[in-house]
Amino acid sequence: MPFRRWWITLLLLVPLSAQAFDLGDLQRRLAATPSLAGSFEQQRELADLDSSLSSQGTFLFERGKRVVWQLEKPVEERIELTPQAITDGSGENAPPGGEQVAQLFLQLLEGDWQALESRFTLALSGDQDDWQVALTPREAALRERIAEITLRGSDTIDHLDMRTPDGDRLKVRLFDQHPLNDS
Amino acid sequence: MTGRHYRRLGWLWLAVLALCAIWLGWMLRQGLPADTDLTALLPADRQAPLIEKADRELGRGFENRFLLLLADDDRVATTQALGQSLQRLVDEGQLAGIDWRELDLADADPHGWMGQWRYRLLTPQWQRAIDTDGGSALVEPALRRLFSPTARPEPVADPFGLLDAWLSRLPRSPIGAADGLLTLDAEGRQWSVLIGELTGSPYELPMQNALHATLERFQQRHPDAELLRSGLVFHAAAGARQAKREMSTIGAASLLGVVLIIGFVFRSPRVLLQLMVPLVAGSLFALTLTLGIFGRLHLLTLAFGASLIGIAVDYVLHLQCDRVIDGRQFRLRRLMPSLTLGLVSSVIAYVAQALTPMPGLRQMAAFAAFGLIGAWLTVVLWLPRFTLHASPFTASLATRWWRLCQPRWRLSPWLALAGALVLVTICALRLTSDDSLELLNPSPAALMHDEQRVQQLLDRDTGSRYFLVQASDTQALLARLETLDGALDRAIADGLRIEYQSLAGSVPTMTEQQANLARVRKLYGPPLDALVERAGLPANVADQARARLDQAPPLTLTEWLETPIGSLQQRLWLGETGDGEVAATVVISGERDDRTSAALATLADTLPKVKYVDRVSRIGGLLGELRRHTAIWVITAMALMTLALLWRYRRHAWRVVVPPFGATLIVLTAFAVGGVPLNIFNQLGLLLILGIGLDAGIFNVEHARKPAAWLAITLSTLTSLLAFGMLAFSATPALHYLGLTCLIGLASVWALVPWVRPGPGHSTTSPRESEHV
Repeated sequence: MPFRRWWITLLLLVPLSAQAFDLGDLQRRLAATPSLAGSFEQQRELADLDSSLSSQGTFLFERGKRVVWQLEKPVEERIELTPQAITDGSGENAPPGGEQVAQLFLQLLEGDWQALESRFTLALSGDQDDWQVALTPREAALRERIAEITLRGSDTIDHLDMRTPDGDRLKVRLFDQHPLNDS
Repeated sequence: MTGRHYRRLGWLWLAVLALCAIWLGWMLRQGLPADTDLTALLPADRQAPLIEKADRELGRGFENRFLLLLADDDRVATTQALGQSLQRLVDEGQLAGIDWRELDLADADPHGWMGQWRYRLLTPQWQRAIDTDGGSALVEPALRRLFSPTARPEPVADPFGLLDAWLSRLPRSPIGAADGLLTLDAEGRQWSVLIGELTGSPYELPMQNALHATLERFQQRHPDAELLRSGLVFHAAAGARQAKREMSTIGAASLLGVVLIIGFVFRSPRVLLQLMVPLVAGSLFALTLTLGIFGRLHLLTLAFGASLIGIAVDYVLHLQCDRVIDGRQFRLRRLMPSLTLGLVSSVIAYVAQALTPMPGLRQMAAFAAFGLIGAWLTVVLWLPRFTLHASPFTASLATRWWRLCQPRWRLSPWLALAGALVLVTICALRLTSDDSLELLNPSPAALMHDEQRVQQLLDRDTGSRYFLVQASDTQALLARLETLDGALDRAIADGLRIEYQSLAGSVPTMTEQQANLARVRKLYGPPLDALVERAGLPANVADQARARLDQAPPLTLTEWLETPIGSLQQRLWLGETGDGEVAATVVISGERDDRTSAALATLADTLPKVKYVDRVSRIGGLLGELRRHTAIWVITAMALMTLALLWRYRRHAWRVVVPPFGATLIVLTAFAVGGVPLNIFNQLGLLLILGIGLDAGIFNVEHARKPAAWLAITLSTLTSLLAFGMLAFSATPALHYLGLTCLIGLASVWALVPWVRPGPGHSTTSPRESEHV
């Protein structure tokens, strides 16, 4: 009974929320949902264009294993990200550097703060029902590619917002999220 | 010769030596002009400066850098410990840099600096796609790419992702990033990668010591961590440590042995000093004249030439033994015929060597001949003038030793001949040869194992097999490389299991780049409009994208080699050759069997100005050629010596040749029976045996009834045995084989001499022996 377990887990988490809310709490909270599925809306604003690239689809997230990104509009494409590789529908490997991007994407969706902290300074604000984590790159080399990343959510991550120094912006909204039976 | 005359000659010789010292000092004012390339020893038509240059270029990364692979259960912490301790060496200025963190890869992102050239670079698949249907099949993948969360779409600069397609085709480093560390995933394990860069030469001792100490300390603290090392610096350091160790064991033991023996026999430290004087004078004379004649010296010449001068110890010992035993009765004239004959026969052998077409052997011959002449002149003109007191102890020692070594029976010439025939037969049947590269490689097995593991884990080539391609200019060269690549691709498709790295894969010819740009213009027609529309982008995006094609500079080879990825291919580019052409290499990795080598060699033969080079077998071939030439020359030298001896000794000549020739045969038979293959180094050792054996043979016959001669022969073989034979215990293959030859050979010379000594009935000594100087 996946739903019942989900509620029990949530109930168990309630007493913790009485104390100050920190990244550890947040990570434990996110970890309580080992795998989930939902829909996404992605919007990419490009600085040298007046317009933006919007897409929609569904996703499947298995903690520590993989993310499947199923694009539905305007084009159909299945992208699978694992800590080792990134593969698209044609089975082709990503261009050089793609693995690092995929790894970052996975770490963000997992809320793997320990891994992220080696490259970003993290700032948590809000409370457990409406929290926000802002990430700024530590090293100059990474700052050339990423200006800031913010994550927002409650039980799960609901918004991802990434800005690059040249003014591009990637906004991802995750909704209709429901846990999956991981057995 | 009157005494005054003799003295004047002595001073004249001293003046010559003084002039030599001045000339040598002038020639060495900018260091010793020494060659190390093996080919420099070969005739000019066998030398290949371009191949040498290619070898140097391909080996450079191995020289200036080192690479460490580290695996451990607690990988992150151990890697950080090692990385930080190596970083301290960088801070101290011992190393130029150390890369081990993920961030050290940051500037490897090629998007920044490759962008301007992308419109002229197309992969074969994309060329085909555009040629087939104008590129409409490329729209769908481009669309997917634009909406991928992990891609970095550039709808104006590169809507189709030309650059990513091009880059994904370039050889990719197996080294990636994980846990913030440079990481290699291989054989189901994660290895941390640490890449160090040296400030200067890998042979610098303080740097070697600091690096060695740091790694030793690390391994003591982390005994469970597996650390693999690769790089010339580790081999150089191991070599230096080994040389130091052997110097303090083998070197010290042989020096101590010589000092003790000479000290015991002569009871005077003077003899020891006087032993050195002719050797130093001979070396000075030889070095000056050889450098003066040849302009340069090969290091091998220097090493072996200096060893051959060691034969001159014979002259000193015979003279000193006579002086110390005869005291005031000593007359130089009595010794002169044997001394002269010893010198003349050796010098004849070297003159024969100087006539070979091998510059290396000529150099060696000149060095040894001049050295012997110089030492001989010093012995004859100066040694008798140094004070040496007669020693009754030495005299009685010589007599006792003489009696002790009287053989019960004497060897007959027929028995000697029969024995020689048996030995020759064994040699002919069993003797093998070995010209492998390992002879030149003194590295310990553990280090070689590390090196192989690293190459295997990184799937990296060592640059030891390559095609050498030449053409009149860069464009023609790129075109020729492209033809070669095409042929290699076909061979690979037909089942040849190799990979290759070629500049043509990175920089297309100008014609090709022009054709690519025309293709991209085609792609930027209707397919681009379709892409922009389906992506929901405003139509002017397509116009902006097209405008970019008007500033699309071509990629030149020079520009490519200056980029971060291109600089990794710098080693493939040889630039201008001496004859106004340009040259490059295509490096091969993968399968290494005979079938592959044959296929590659055949492929090179079908293309003009393309040569296949296998460095390992090439050096083996050179060593083999050198060995065969030395063998011929050893035989010629033996024949010439025999002629010279026949002229003086007639039917007693066999008594003189048995010690040198017999010892040579015994050495060869021992190798044949023991399974030791013949190589260039033990053959050079045979030359030493011939020289010392011949001197022993001559003195043995000339002074058959004189205990002093036998004492001198004993001392000469014993000291040479200590100086050279001890090298048999060296771990360096070249020295080991030289030493082994001397060990067996010199012992044989000494053992053979008494059996061929003329009996009391024979009289071969010069009738004028009793005359005085």
